[in-house]
Amino acid sequence: MKKLLQKIAKKSPWLYRINAGSCNGCDVELATTACIPRYDIERLGCKYCGSPKHADIVLITGPLTARVKEKVLRLYDEIPDPKVTVAIGVCPISGGVFRDSYAITGPIDNFIPVDVNVPGCPPRPQAIIDGIVEAIKIWETRL
Amino acid sequence: MSSFLKIAIRNLLKGPSTDPYPFGETFVPKGLRGKIKYNAKACVACRMCEHVCAGGAIQIREVADKSGLEFILWHNTCAFCGLCEHYCPTKAIRLTEDYHTAHRQEDKYRYVEKGFIKYVNCARCATPMVPIAFELLNVAHDQVNEDIEKLRHLCPKCRQERALR
Repeated sequence: MKKLLQKIAKKSPWLYRINAGSCNGCDVELATTACIPRYDIERLGCKYCGSPKHADIVLITGPLTARVKEKVLRLYDEIPDPKVTVAIGVCPISGGVFRDSYAITGPIDNFIPVDVNVPGCPPRPQAIIDGIVEAIKIWETRL
Repeated sequence: MSSFLKIAIRNLLKGPSTDPYPFGETFVPKGLRGKIKYNAKACVACRMCEHVCAGGAIQIREVADKSGLEFILWHNTCAFCGLCEHYCPTKAIRLTEDYHTAHRQEDKYRYVEKGFIKYVNCARCATPMVPIAFELLNVAHDQVNEDIEKLRHLCPKCRQERALR
């Protein structure tokens, strides 16, 4: 039974989105990637889920602002292992244009183990799909 | 009702509108601002790009053995704003239409665009200087003749002396 579940789980990683103080640009691109038929991410078996407890691949946007940091870390801890983390946009990766600001505590890999980076301000939907494909490859090895 | 049927049949014939990427080719709109490409040959090291870079992605510094200047651009903090391209006098920096930016975490700090400008010696006094790119002459002069071409190989000090003579 466990083996069967593992085999099935490989084909349908569920995505979960965390907004760590993003300007909403990357979130719009994420919504575009998932919700409109043109870049349909469900072809890869992915699906957005509303609860962190159902998530397999975590997509993080935003530079991890000081105000939202504790909440993001708490939310991240609620996601069951194994999980794959993808940083979307330049903000979580390096801070982007907000780097060295007093209001942000990022880069996010100081607090959260990141697996795939997709830089861009914002990245194209195709680039996000690239990142998710990469994340699925990692996800298959972790099961 | 009939107009709805017309649309339904037309959509059926047209096939899916989903972009085949990542299984097939995708489209790239013209003028898409993607990863930056740097051409060290055309660069005159004016450092304008470093100054205007919104994300602080560009760094130009002298290498340890003082044989030239190193240009480093870290894609992971570049916002694709295009200011560097706009302000580059010789268009040594260009934004390509390459949007493939996804990479693994272990390559995070290796995800850079690098270039090296080797110093050349002044033709008269042999002090090392940044080579003057041919592109810069085209910006400064309407027509590049032999005299101007000669000035290219002189350091700023020798050029000044030549001009005052």
